[in-house]
Parts: sequence; C-alpha cells; structure tokens
Amino acid sequence: MRLSIARAYLVAPHRAKSIRPICSSSLNPQIPLFLRPPNYSVTLKDFHKWHNWAKILNCSVGSSFVDTDNGPDSTLLHRELKWLVQDAVEDKSLSSELENEIEQNPELGLRNVRLKVGIEELYRLWKQRIHERRPFQYIVGCEHWRDLILSVEEGVLIPRPETEVLVDLVEKVVSDNEALREGLWVDLGTGSGAIAIGICRILEGRGRVIATDLSSIALAVAGYNVQRYGLQDLIELRQGSWYEPLQDVQGKLSGIISNPPYIPSDNIFGLQAEVGKHEPRVALDGGTNGMDELIHLCDEATVMLKLGGFLAFETNGEDQCKHLVNYMENNHKGKFCNLKIVSDFASIPRFITGFLNGAI
Amino acid sequence: MSIFTFRKQVCNRIFTLVRNVFISKHRFIPVLQYSSATAQNFALWNRGITDFNKIFGFPFTTLRLFSTQIAFEPSTSDGLTVEGILGNRWTILDESESDWRSHAAAIAQSIHLIKKRLQWKKLMMRLELLSVELNKADLWDDPAHAGKISREHGSIMSKIKEINAFERELLEHIDMIKLAREENDTELESESLNALLTMRRNSREKELEALLSGENDSCSCYIEVQAGAGGTESMDWAAMVMQMYILWAQRRGFKVTVMEEMPGEIAGIKRATIKLDGEYAFGYAKSEVGVHRLVRISPFDSNKRRHTSFAAVAVIPITGDGSTHVQINESDLRIERYRSGGAGGQSVNTTDSAVRIVHIPTGITATCQNERSQHQNKAAAMAVLQSRLNQLEMTRQAQMNAQHTQSLSDITWGNQIRSYVLHPYQMVKDLRTNYEVSDPDSVLEGDLDSFILNYLSASLDNDGDQL
Repeated sequence: MRLSIARAYLVAPHRAKSIRPICSSSLNPQIPLFLRPPNYSVTLKDFHKWHNWAKILNCSVGSSFVDTDNGPDSTLLHRELKWLVQDAVEDKSLSSELENEIEQNPELGLRNVRLKVGIEELYRLWKQRIHERRPFQYIVGCEHWRDLILSVEEGVLIPRPETEVLVDLVEKVVSDNEALREGLWVDLGTGSGAIAIGICRILEGRGRVIATDLSSIALAVAGYNVQRYGLQDLIELRQGSWYEPLQDVQGKLSGIISNPPYIPSDNIFGLQAEVGKHEPRVALDGGTNGMDELIHLCDEATVMLKLGGFLAFETNGEDQCKHLVNYMENNHKGKFCNLKIVSDFASIPRFITGFLNGAI
Repeated sequence: MSIFTFRKQVCNRIFTLVRNVFISKHRFIPVLQYSSATAQNFALWNRGITDFNKIFGFPFTTLRLFSTQIAFEPSTSDGLTVEGILGNRWTILDESESDWRSHAAAIAQSIHLIKKRLQWKKLMMRLELLSVELNKADLWDDPAHAGKISREHGSIMSKIKEINAFERELLEHIDMIKLAREENDTELESESLNALLTMRRNSREKELEALLSGENDSCSCYIEVQAGAGGTESMDWAAMVMQMYILWAQRRGFKVTVMEEMPGEIAGIKRATIKLDGEYAFGYAKSEVGVHRLVRISPFDSNKRRHTSFAAVAVIPITGDGSTHVQINESDLRIERYRSGGAGGQSVNTTDSAVRIVHIPTGITATCQNERSQHQNKAAAMAVLQSRLNQLEMTRQAQMNAQHTQSLSDITWGNQIRSYVLHPYQMVKDLRTNYEVSDPDSVLEGDLDSFILNYLSASLDNDGDQL
C-alpha cells in the first residue's frame, strides 16, 4: 500500500522558508500544557481532591491493561499523574507531601494553586487517560524526547524512546566524517519533527535538514517544534510522500533518516489501545508485511543519496532488519556498503544503517 | 600599675587582636600569637606574602618554605595555656553563672573536643606532607595536581587558623578579666565576661561543625536501599527505610530526587536510589551505611507471626570537584532498557523509558527511571555510575593508604548497625553507639538526627583522649 499524495507540494528551495506560514495559517498546533499561561486557580484542598481521585482511578486499573494489551499498570499511571501535575501546576514546589499538613492545618487547604488548565478539565483529561486510554503525551500535549520537549497532538505519531538512538547513530557517523556534517540531510515522514530537530542539533549549524511529511497536521506541529528550538533557518519542511518533494536534490543527499510506518496491517488491530485507537494509522501501517515503505525508501535511496552518503531506518525488529539487509545486498548488488543491523536498548535489532558505495 | 599603663596595655591588646584578625583573614598561614612579639609577627607577615606568591605561581623568593609549624602554644601574659586551663579542672557551672573560670573551662573543653574531631595530629601531619609537596620545584608541571594540593593545603590551613584564633581569643579575654580585676574596672570585666559567654555558646556550633570535617562531608550524595532476603516483608521494610530517609532529608532541607525504584511484586521495593542535594548531605547520611533490622508482626503473614527483616543502606558522595574522577570508556558500557515490554518501537507507547547502564569491567550498574526521556534517563544513570566508580576508586585509594575507612561497596549482611523493634516491645537501638529511643514511629518518620549525631560524635570522640 503506497501512500498516494493528497496534495503534492513541490516547493523550490528558495521558497522553502515560506512554507511554515502556509501550514500554520491553515492549522494551528496546540500549545503544550506546560507552556500555557497559569490562568486558572483552585484551592489546594480541591486540587488534592482531584489528585486523590485520580490516584484511586489509577489503582483501580491494577494490571488489567497489562493483561489485555500490554498497556500501562498502576505504577506507570501514578508516574504519569506526577508528570501531569508538574506540567499543569505553576508552583513547582507543590508536592503531595502537603496532603498530610492539610489534614493537620485546614487553613493551608484554602491556599490557592495556580493552574494552566481548569480543574474540571483536569478531571476530564484523566478520565480520558484511563477510560479512553488516550495517550499521556496527547493529554499534556508534549513528549520529552532526548533533551527536547516536543509538542504532539492527535494526528501526529508520538516519538518513541527507541527512535532516540537514530540520532545517536547520526552523531557517530558525522563525528567520524566531518564532510557529512556539512551536507544536506533528510528526515522522511518527520511527524512531530523529532528526528529532524535531533539531527539538526547534531550537525551544529553546519549542515541543513529537509523534513517531509504527507500530513498537514504533522507539518504544522513539526513547524511549531522547529520554531521553538529556533531552527527555522536550518530545517526546511516540505509536504509530500517520501522522496516526491525532493526531486530538486536528487543525488545530493548526505544522509537519509526515517522512521516510516512498519507495523504489518494485520497487527494493527491487536495493538495497545493508546497506539491503535489514538495514533494516526498512516504513521503505523506498513502494508501486508510491514515493509512496503521501507522497501520503497531503500530503492530510491540509491538515486537520492550522493556517493558515500549515509542511511538509517527504524524497523519492526529482527525479521525486518534481516530481510531489508538481504534485499539491499541482492536487489541492489554492490550499491551499498557497510550495511549493519543495530539493536535498541531493549536488545531488539531495530535499525539498519549503511552507506551508498563510492568515494565522497 | 598606674591607670596609664593599664590603658596602654588594653590598647596594645586591642591592636593585636584587630591585627591578628586581619592577618588571619588574608594570609594562608596560621599566625601565631605569643604575648607581645610584634617583631615576630611581622616576620610571619612577610612569610605570608611569600607563601601567597608561591601559591599563585610567583616564586619571587625560593628560599622561604611553607610553614606548618605551630611551634609556640598561645598563652596569657602570665603563661596560662588552653592545655593549662584543662589541667586546672575548674568546675564547669551552668551558663547563667557569671564565673569566668567556668566559662573558660567549658570553652577549653570544646576546643579540645573540636581538635579531636578534626583529628588534629593527623591534620598537622597531612599539612606537613602537603607543604613538602607544595615546595617541590616541579609542582606546577601538573596543574591539576598542584591545584588539588594547594586547595587541600588551603582548606586545612583555614581550619587550623580558625581554631588558633579561637584559642587566642579565649586567652585574651582571660587576660582582660585579670587586668580589669587588678584595676577594679567592673565595666571592662563584665564586657569580657559576656564575650566569654558568647564564645561558650559559639563553641557548641563549632563542635557540631567539626563532626562534619571529612573530605567529602559537604557533598551532596546518593542513598541506596536494598531489601534483604525474605520476600515481600523485606521489600516492605526497604520501602519504609527509604521513606524514612526521604522524610529526614526533607526536614533537613535537602532536595530529594528519586533516581530509580525497583518495586516489589506485591509491596515495597527491591531496591531504590535517591539523590540528596544540599550542604553536608553526605556528612550526615554516611552514618546510615550498613544493615537495618526490623522485628514486627508481619502484615503479610496471615498467621500473624513475628518476622525479622533486613535492608541494606549505601551512601555515595557526589564529588563535584572532579578530584577523583574515573575516566569511563564508552566501549566498556552496556546500555539497556530496564524493562523490555513486547515488540517495542511503534507498536508500543510507554512513558516508561528507564535505562540501565552496566560498566562491564567492574560489573557496577546504574539505573534511572525518574526522567521523562530515555536520553535524560541515560544521562542521569551515567552520573550515578560515575559517582559509584569514583567511590570505588576512593575506597581503593584509601585502602592503599591503609587508612581506616568505611567501604561502602561491600556491605555484608552481618554488618548490622541498627535494630527497629515494633513487637513485642517498641524500641530503636543503634548497635554501634547503644543509643536507643522507645518511639519507632517518630524515627521512621525521619527523626534521625539524634542517631546520626550520636554516631558521628561517638566515632570521632571515643577514640581515646588523643588529639
């Protein structure tokens, strides 16, 4: 299943910087909770009432989510709740230890807590978290990823911890080869812009990055994140499917990095509720064996990369890694060199890396 | 003595006092006071300047050496020394009694205690050693080493200087009182008596400060708690111990961060690490190293039997100055996700991004799950690992120097330090000091200071009467 292009946006490089306003004028990305102004206020007593209610809700979950679809358990939900409090409350020193003191000193409970969201909304949000299994990252509107805090919302894939390693791989490559650091890199299917921003910071302002995505929401969110890290002059966003918006830079790329959809279509329905029910299917579904997009990315890389250029893709695991390396060695004989399978921190073979054969 | 000579003497005293304060604030050497040796003081002043220059790398005079000698004991004009005061065994009365001998004796005793806590003789020997190092011609060939040496030299010097100044102050006030009595100057006498009282009060604080004079005492630290054998009951006990430290640290005003926590299957923790940020966190917490024992009717035993459980506590200083900084090779590390859940990648959305790092050559591991991204968990775990390796190196060095040291890396389960009995009677007893209280609840709520101070003073004070 190849994704067809809904709106082919071919933007010439000199017009590229103007693409952000195009996106944000049609779609306004949500501001993450922690960045919102503290316009709401509630008494400490009422705040703790909510907090206790949410904790009890967490406890009621027990291991039931783990048993049904490997979802979060109570411990994890407690931790998420702690982070929600961190993001929603203006006064960072507020801790749940105060609870005991409120019992002893009721006047404390009358103190006001400044919030970035109304208390009713907090009830609504945590109900969504537990009852609808809405992902925590959509609840707070952000994901902490590497040393970044990225805005995310429905319609955009939440960057995974595993994917952080892709940026480490690039860091390793450019520290061994400074010429690559100064080149042009692409992040295909950028989503929230995580990989593009991660790479761009690794390049230390010497190289440039183009991030592509088919989805307008994704581009709007990526644009917001790029802007927040002040990288709008170094990262160019282009709308379109995979390499299609990149015809003007054919054979000029120093690196191609992507975390394309790779879950086999049949597996989509058995996914953890947070993923299957809430995240964009277009960012997850990789076709019958999950490799439609990966194969396409490898095929085209032969013409898109410059000689000696680097590629790194994330996959579903060992089978896909092996299959892909085999495919590249057999179907593109002699085109690639140094093909490697790299494991993630859970020791699952997760990434394939390699170079286009030839001197730079 | 005429009133004229008396006033002159008083003025002289005040002059010396003021000058000494000035000197001791600005020079790197202890300035010695022996009654009225102005000329010698000026010689010391000169030497001070030379030392100052050398420390900062301007060896204008190479003949001068770093002085470490405290050869002359300060004394009053009629030859009374601090040792002498102790020898007199004057009765120490309550603070409210306006008796100068009582005040003087109390202060002299404090000075003795402080010196003992600072391990005065050892301190002098160390200073001698450092001075020899500092006088070496090739010292600055290794600036890092030189910096470390001169920092330590400076810090020991300032300790010695402070105590010497305190001694001098005591003797000078005694001189004043004697003088005032000769001259029947009641105003001066009561002034000096008040000054002694202030000193007596300040000396308590100094005694306490002296308890925390170890090399890393002022550092922040990590506290690790591990459950002993015995399943859920022990894990619950480990969680109670951890909670006790969190509450204690909060009372003390330390910032507490949970670095890692490995929960037990049913209750409690298998193991956890917290970080305490604050002045002297390590100095206090180091007293808690060892095995803590609990006796109670287990809430997890349906037959309501009495159980004994154990939890081990380790404390690691976070040495910020890089004095013992072990270089870690990236290739010696194995980094792994703490819990691996299913397929990972896009199929899983978990906010659990805990990371464990194993240092393969030593087998030492560090884990962090407190941060919100894997990258940050990795960085935090690296910091823990770094501290653990530094600690290991410090222990190794200490053993090489054949110094007495608590080895935090090998807590044996036999090394019990404290017993908490909730049933059949109520008691917490420190097995090292025999200090005990009959209110376990308050201890478990973090009321630990009395145990800690008792241990600290016992370990430093009961070591004979030697300085």
